[in-house]
Amino acid sequence: MSVEIRKYDVVIVGAGLAGCAAARECQMAGLKTVVLTKVHPLRSHSGAAQGGINAALNEADTTSHEFDTVKGSDYLGDQDAIELMCQKAPETIRWLEKMGAVFSRNEDGSIAQRPFGGQSQPRACFAKDRTGLICLQTIYEQAHRAGVEFLDEWYVGDLVYDNATSKVNGVVACNLRDTQFAIFNAKVVMFATGGYGRTYKINSNAHANTGDGLSIVARHGLPLEDMEFVQFHPSGLAGSGVLMSEAARGEGGHLLNSNGERFMSKYAPEKMELASRDVVSRGIEREIMEGRGVGEKKDAVYLDVRHLGEEKIMERLPELRDLALAFLGQDMAKEPIMIRATAHYSMGGIPTDINCHVKKNPTETVTGFYAAGECACVSVHGANRLGANSVLEAVLFGRHAGENIVKDIEAIAMVDVDESSADKFMKEVDWVIATNGSERVPALRAYLQETMTENAGVFRDEARLAKQKEIIKEIRKRYQNIRIDDSSRLFNTDMQEAIELGHMIDYAAFIVEGALARKESRGAQYREDYQSRDDANFLYHTYATMDGEGNISLDKGAVSIGKFQPEARTY
Amino acid sequence: MSTTRTLRFRVFRFNAETDYLPAYKIYDLEVDEHELMLDVLDKIKWTKDGSFSYRRSCRHGICGSCAIKVNGKSIIACKDNVFELADLFETDELIIEPSRTERAVKDLIVDKKDFWSKYDAVKPYLVAEIDEHPVKENLVTPEDAELINEADQCIQCGVCYYACPAVEVNPDFIGPAALAKAARFTTDVRDDAKLDRLEIVNELGKGIWDCVKCYECATACPKGVDPIGKITTLHNQTFEEDMAEDNVATRHAVGFKHAIARHGLLDETEIVRYSEGTFGMVKHIGVGLDMMRAGKVVMPWNMHNSKNLDEVKKLIKSSSTTTFKGK
Repeated sequence: MSVEIRKYDVVIVGAGLAGCAAARECQMAGLKTVVLTKVHPLRSHSGAAQGGINAALNEADTTSHEFDTVKGSDYLGDQDAIELMCQKAPETIRWLEKMGAVFSRNEDGSIAQRPFGGQSQPRACFAKDRTGLICLQTIYEQAHRAGVEFLDEWYVGDLVYDNATSKVNGVVACNLRDTQFAIFNAKVVMFATGGYGRTYKINSNAHANTGDGLSIVARHGLPLEDMEFVQFHPSGLAGSGVLMSEAARGEGGHLLNSNGERFMSKYAPEKMELASRDVVSRGIEREIMEGRGVGEKKDAVYLDVRHLGEEKIMERLPELRDLALAFLGQDMAKEPIMIRATAHYSMGGIPTDINCHVKKNPTETVTGFYAAGECACVSVHGANRLGANSVLEAVLFGRHAGENIVKDIEAIAMVDVDESSADKFMKEVDWVIATNGSERVPALRAYLQETMTENAGVFRDEARLAKQKEIIKEIRKRYQNIRIDDSSRLFNTDMQEAIELGHMIDYAAFIVEGALARKESRGAQYREDYQSRDDANFLYHTYATMDGEGNISLDKGAVSIGKFQPEARTY
Repeated sequence: MSTTRTLRFRVFRFNAETDYLPAYKIYDLEVDEHELMLDVLDKIKWTKDGSFSYRRSCRHGICGSCAIKVNGKSIIACKDNVFELADLFETDELIIEPSRTERAVKDLIVDKKDFWSKYDAVKPYLVAEIDEHPVKENLVTPEDAELINEADQCIQCGVCYYACPAVEVNPDFIGPAALAKAARFTTDVRDDAKLDRLEIVNELGKGIWDCVKCYECATACPKGVDPIGKITTLHNQTFEEDMAEDNVATRHAVGFKHAIARHGLLDETEIVRYSEGTFGMVKHIGVGLDMMRAGKVVMPWNMHNSKNLDEVKKLIKSSSTTTFKGK
């Protein structure tokens, strides 16, 4: 089969907030830019963000936003990047507003802000409880208006990377409509491919969030950073894990156990339900483990917002009310609803420097390769992200990546590539369609997700992690023996799911290896066998690389410490 | 304990590459009371036939990928409970089809080009000089923000578009979703292209005057956008901006006001006379006679006045903005 080679200045993979923001910058600077996405841009998971986007709109609050973020990160966040983010946040919000985002307003017409977990001030700007949707629409609309070319339902399967020169020259993709392959040959590639929450059984992520971008990078021997840090959001709907925004607690919601106690008084006496997410999630899971859960299987706790009154619920949390009705048949205006912790956000990812250049190792960068948003690890979230910092990071660093591409591109060469660059991905697809084993992809994926939740979830220890390492090895072996039903070249979603599972297996191994080696508890990583933070031995970023057999090697990267020296973290 | 039921699903299967005609395959599945239609689609794909194809992503009603039809009802699969649908149609057998069978490419996946081209047609973005490094936001009152809010909830799922009978008979009709999008920007105080957009949607044969006001879109919308309410907003804005041409479609709209102004009650004969002219009524004689026989038409000499006719007239006078272009 022949492969088309298309030439661009800039190829961006992923059309969520980060991808669209970067694309607009590149397009407006006159660069020939294309955005590839496996769904339509408006279907991107950025749109599912609910509660808010942080900014110290009152300038006096900036240092406090920085401190809250550093403390939230359990001191693993890079303070230079955090400083940049917090300082540029107000401009970013107002830029979104100028482009058309309809934020909820104060009586005087200024942008309203609500309290969020782990924060000393109300600084989450919001559009009711559909903040992500409104921001995504706005940025996509303005990128579209600027003339960015969007190719939707294109699946990117490989990076064209020249190891000898450390230069990225494009990506290999296939059109999902007809499985036709193309090489997008470019001076610059940017990844904005989202997170990896779907490795877990109970998660809040979209079906599309299979984290392919991460393992595409890792398969070239490039490192991934801090993969062990997976955020479990305190309030996923019982059963499905679908998100109930932190806004529910920000607006004053209570968490109750089977005895009707506000149990957070035990775990975070001061901040209660508005402690950092890792703290609240552990509180919830601890209550369930100790038998104080609610529901048929006692595997949930109550989120109670009734005291806010129906009017405020409809004004501030209408989407959440709808979700609880659809999934549980529970009306939060009239009764408490059942929630439990759900895998939500990936703090780890593709390592980048503060200007979004992808790193080859802790000190050097790759040429012509950028990353931003949830797939990247810059790292502003460290070991735990604060609520309403992710939408901010995606927009701000997405745009920042675009600005840096524009700044750098003149010095970056266009290296022509030939058809053979597509061989690896084409072989992978052909193999998946043709192979005739006995393992079924949905069952194997379910096995991976269930065991990751069980052995590498909210609470971890040596024994379970070691067991999971073996399970992943077993799954990797069984994956070689799969069979799919669909042999068509037309919208072969069966093939797509199989390719995605291959990626999930690869990066799941990074999560487990990182968690095993980190013999401490920090932020979202909680080791029952090492319950405290150990700055003397573990105040570093994990850099992990994978060999051809899936074996992982670990390295260390320095944490950027600025104004705030590590200290004890209580809420 | 949660209850389960065994239901039968008759599913539209088609592959444009290999099939000349679609086929309906039957799957019997045990369904839990909390399961949504998307769970059924996943179960078919994951346990019965991996080649079964449909779009989906967020699984909680915010990304708009999974629009389908169940027993002819246009829905997004991840929002509708299976038991509720079965109860609504009083059946144990549900028919699952793409949102428009004629546009099916593979199973439930349709070619949505028509939908997106309509979206593009209304300039779906804020037109304004963007301050790239602002230090202050625009001040917008909560009331002005609220005006935009309802239309801004739209997730472009296409449920209303593929439920709209006017789109079905008139492929040029922009349709409810894109018209709601247009209204989202024409009501935005920050936008500079209100008149351009109104001109686009005011075009006869394509725009707001081709809506038949059946309310299917408002009923079908999974997000409470009320597209027909937004079409009405656009109707009013064309009058306010002195853009409404004097033609049969606009006169039909104004005919309601006119008819009510005479008697304080809706006089349907008068609407027809006003919008089509006395002569134009001739072509409706057949229908008119049938309606008369069925007692659906009040004869002019039997038309009585509302008790509060004076107040109705005052209300109309103080609130009406309907004047035709140049008149």
